[in-house]
Amino acid sequence: MIPLVLYVLLASTMFTIGLYGLLTQRNGIKLMMCVEILLNSANINLVAFSAYLPNVNGQVFALFSIALAAAEAGVGFAILIVLYRLYGTIELDNINALRW
Amino acid sequence: MYQDYAYLIVGLPVLAFVLTIFLGWHLPKGGGFFTVLATFAGFILSFGIFREIYPNNEIVHQSMHWFASFNAGILIDPLAIVMLLMVTFVCTLIHTYALGYMEGDPGMARYFAEAGLFTAAMLGLVFSDNLLQLFIFWELVGLCSYLLIGFWYRKPSAASAAKKAFLVTRVGDVMFLAGIVLLYTNMVKLNLTLPDGAYLLQFQTIYDSLTLIPPDQLTWIAVLLFGGAVGKSGQFPLHVWLPDAMEGPTTVSAMIHAATMVTAGVYLVARMFPLFYAAPNALMVVAYVGGFTALFAATMGLVMFDIKRVLAYSTVSQLGYMMAGLGVGAAVGASAVGVSMFHLIGHSFFKALLFLCAGSVIHAVGTNDMREMGGVLKYMKWTGLTMLAGSLTLAGFPLTTGFFSKDEIIVTAFEHGALGLGWLPYIFAVVAALLTAIYTFRLWFLTFDGEPRSDYHKHESPWIMLGPLVILAIFALFMGMPSQENFYEYVGNNFEHYGVDFEELAVIGGHHVEHGAEVHEPFIIKILPIIIGVGGILIAALFYSRWKRFDSSMITSERDPLRHILLKRYYQNEIYTLWFAEKVVYGIALVSNMIDLKIIDGTVNKISAISVGFGGTLRKVQTGVIQNYLTAIVLGLAVLLILIQLASMGVAI
Repeated sequence: MIPLVLYVLLASTMFTIGLYGLLTQRNGIKLMMCVEILLNSANINLVAFSAYLPNVNGQVFALFSIALAAAEAGVGFAILIVLYRLYGTIELDNINALRW
Repeated sequence: MYQDYAYLIVGLPVLAFVLTIFLGWHLPKGGGFFTVLATFAGFILSFGIFREIYPNNEIVHQSMHWFASFNAGILIDPLAIVMLLMVTFVCTLIHTYALGYMEGDPGMARYFAEAGLFTAAMLGLVFSDNLLQLFIFWELVGLCSYLLIGFWYRKPSAASAAKKAFLVTRVGDVMFLAGIVLLYTNMVKLNLTLPDGAYLLQFQTIYDSLTLIPPDQLTWIAVLLFGGAVGKSGQFPLHVWLPDAMEGPTTVSAMIHAATMVTAGVYLVARMFPLFYAAPNALMVVAYVGGFTALFAATMGLVMFDIKRVLAYSTVSQLGYMMAGLGVGAAVGASAVGVSMFHLIGHSFFKALLFLCAGSVIHAVGTNDMREMGGVLKYMKWTGLTMLAGSLTLAGFPLTTGFFSKDEIIVTAFEHGALGLGWLPYIFAVVAALLTAIYTFRLWFLTFDGEPRSDYHKHESPWIMLGPLVILAIFALFMGMPSQENFYEYVGNNFEHYGVDFEELAVIGGHHVEHGAEVHEPFIIKILPIIIGVGGILIAALFYSRWKRFDSSMITSERDPLRHILLKRYYQNEIYTLWFAEKVVYGIALVSNMIDLKIIDGTVNKISAISVGFGGTLRKVQTGVIQNYLTAIVLGLAVLLILIQLASMGVAI
């Protein structure tokens, strides 16, 4: 059996990668991807602990989370498409109509 | 019984004001009959009250708490009742006359509304029982005079005359208010324990505490109050608004000059007479200003050609007489109030009469300029004869009302001189009396005598206008003889109701009242007023009537500097408007404007600019970029976690 610490290590690595992407990237799609990575790192944690405890609640939560992530991605990409039609770009630095 | 309804004397004209201003547009004659009836009802009430209080020499006093240390109240004493009777009576006649005079004016409803309010304000002023309430009605009178002088507000000259009247009297009003404040502070300092229902600014309280206030303060208060009276009653140097007030309808001039507005100043001084008497030198100021005004205005009346302007200067001059009559009270005490008030009442009859006659002439002839009149008597018998009655009494023809009242003032002024208090008021009064007779009859002869000098409309005015003239003429001629002695006694003893001790006040005021020291009047002094009155009429007849023997060109010429000065009205316009208003006041206004813009506005603008700049810098922190916020959150969270970790490891933070 793979020790729990490796799962946690994997999850924290993915979390860091996602956070790094979120803080540094300006491209809308890349940001969406980073958010997905963050979500999935959490899912890995949930499933890993659920398998070890043994308690299925965690896995059920992971399923919910995946469904949520799908919905979020749907809305997010829809917004990005509208933005692209309006501005011709999805570089968020150029979308600053409401900034000072 | 009537006295229970005393408040209606003011209430009814106010009601008439409300009714006419809202409903007048839909009623015939602009709803003017409301105002006439309300004023007449006021007269009936005043007369009823007079009948009740006169036999036992009582006074009516009703008062209620108003706010803080002030009250609202009604005080009807001899001084007030004669004013109430006069104002309601003369105003009723003037309003009746206006029904005819204002016929066809599109602003009739507005006229009668404002006239009703004007009457109400004056009546309220007269029966106030405290100085504050008097001041409020005083201001209301000022407002109404502004509205009425500017009645034809589309005419630029009327609008500017209204402003002038408002601003010039305002100078006086500010002094009046300052006087009230000074009086109030002095009264507060006395720490009086007032009986129930008494208030600080009530006249009774003021009279009672005159002996307690420092005399130098009294002089200041008296002079400031007199400043208010100077503005309202058109005394030199604040008389300039009064001739310009001619811009309103003639009935307004009649109201302002006879019954309502200008008498307020004289009434104020009469009402506060004990204070003036107790204040050292105050009455001297009143006497000299009044006497000088009487003479100064009379000289200008001599050369005017506008019929209403002659009458306006005559009003200024006669008001000067009233003030002088009060001022020379330094010699005779409170009886001066009776003398002066008698002239005030008589004057309001004949001056209302003269103005209404002039209005009747102007109404028919269609011009104000006497050079274009002449021979009007042939076409306007009633107007001409009633105006003759008014002119006789104004000129002081023997046995008319004006003769008695003016004579009494001149005699009092003589006593003033004989007691060593100064001869100037007497000299002013005598010379002004001569000039009065001359200019009055110059006016009458130029207008009614001789041949028509232009092609004017020749018709008599309607009876609704002539009726009031006849009534006023009867009063102007014959009121004086039967009533004068009773009047002097009744009004002269007004202050006995308040227990004012004039001998005690004389000591404070520094007047030497020598009892029993009858002033000897030489025979020539006694008959001098008769000689002057008749002589003045004869002089005018010799110069201006059909029996003309001289022409004015024989004693003066176009280049005569004296004539020039008079025609230019002593360069008052130049001094007041061009020099004082446009140079001094405008200069001050420019400087204040600059201070306002640069210093006051500048400070405020600077402060706001600083905060705007600071805010502008500070808002750069809010980038609007989510990632920046996120970075901050992550960093903050990291620091927090590290701190918690350190704390759990026992590191002291």
